[in-house]
Amino acid sequence: MAESAIAARGAGKALWPLLSLLGFGVVWALLAVLIASPVLPGPAEVWSALLREWEQGYAMHLGATLLRVLAAFCLAMAIGAAIGLALGRSEGADRLFGGWLSLFLNLPALVTIILCYVWFGLTEVAAIGAVAINKIPNVAVTLREGARRLDRDLLEMAEIYRLNWRARMAHVVLPQLAPYFAVAARNGLALVWKIVLVVELLGRSNGVGFQLHLHFQLFDVAAILAYALGFIVIVQAIELGLIAPWERYANRWRR
Amino acid sequence: MSGLSVALDGKQFDDAPVLGRIAFDLAPGEIAALIGPSGAGKTTLLNLIAGIDHAFEGEIRRPEGQVAMVFQSPRLLPWRTLAQNITLVPGSGGEDRARALLADVGLSEAADQYPERVSLGMQRRAALARALAIDPVLVVMDEPTVSLDPPTAAAMRGLIRDLLAASQATALIATHDRAEALTLADRILEIGERPARLVRDRANPLDRHARRAPGAADALLPGWFGDATRAAE
Repeated sequence: MAESAIAARGAGKALWPLLSLLGFGVVWALLAVLIASPVLPGPAEVWSALLREWEQGYAMHLGATLLRVLAAFCLAMAIGAAIGLALGRSEGADRLFGGWLSLFLNLPALVTIILCYVWFGLTEVAAIGAVAINKIPNVAVTLREGARRLDRDLLEMAEIYRLNWRARMAHVVLPQLAPYFAVAARNGLALVWKIVLVVELLGRSNGVGFQLHLHFQLFDVAAILAYALGFIVIVQAIELGLIAPWERYANRWRR
Repeated sequence: MSGLSVALDGKQFDDAPVLGRIAFDLAPGEIAALIGPSGAGKTTLLNLIAGIDHAFEGEIRRPEGQVAMVFQSPRLLPWRTLAQNITLVPGSGGEDRARALLADVGLSEAADQYPERVSLGMQRRAALARALAIDPVLVVMDEPTVSLDPPTAAAMRGLIRDLLAASQATALIATHDRAEALTLADRILEIGERPARLVRDRANPLDRHARRAPGAADALLPGWFGDATRAAE
């Protein structure tokens, strides 16, 4: 009986976000009817726009954007984590390069993108590189914080018991950084998605950003919302399907 | 060959002297207890001896081979099971040996548990198993029974005594508990207030067999130590 009560409460928990989203849909539909203008199409119109766009390569454009996001995200996580760890572990390095980090952190994304395109041409490498460069400082700052808070007791233990570099990373350092990786990945994904669109808008001939630009010129708001919707669904799927289960696995040892 | 040779001239933290002149040698296989008031610098001295802290004046010669340390907090990796905490240490042998060692300390059932899900006493025993897994020539222990309830502490002392005797390692055990020192050690080293110096260095009048008798250490306790603060002066 207790189990069914818990299951019922779990179902209730899952129900509320659904109800909340449904409410949003209703408000949107009502507003669209009230305003009755092509600049605010209702849910039904957006759905038919999505079906229309599907015929014209919706999935291909979404896929192109997804691949760019993946490449830029992996690049930024790897390089940012390495920089953050180095700065967090060495005070000298932090004094030398900490200033650079705040410089890049405050460099507007648009400037990086324009410079990359100017310097390296309108290429895929320039596009992905520009997105990664925007994200690297955020990852580095988060991981630097994690590296500063590494448990000294456990590092001493690793020294006494002569764990080599690989074992220290695998068993002592990385498990402690897991929460910081999760934060960096979450924030990173949201940021990378948005910047990829700008990169596509400015210098690519496919992808969601390119399509948004096209439909902006055609003043096709329904198609723009259709792309935005697909975007939201995929980001949520990544959060629920990848990041959340990984976090649960990484936290399995906690009381 | 010596089990351990300590000739410390001094140790300070930010110009505040913590340890003064401390010199002693341990024979191979000898078990010594290090006692002194809390805050005297026992842990600091153990860190120097174990080789975690290299900033001191003087000379410490460790024997050739592995040094193991049993820390005051067990310092197990919370994200690895008790068995994994042993197998991931180089030179600990494989999975089977880790389980056998855990069985020796009464943890065969808990081998696949995560440290935070077992009691402090069990974590301490797992840390002891890890220390002995590397076949150390020198074992340094910091307050191995502190904050355990009396029966658990007594059981832990029994384990330490038996396992150290079996391993034949040289050992130095810091404790604030004089009865524990007399139960475990061949020799008692006493340090005084900061900056701590070695104030007394005496052999335990109870031999290894005699101190197995329950209550033997307690019976000896009042007369043998006298007043430690007077001795320090």
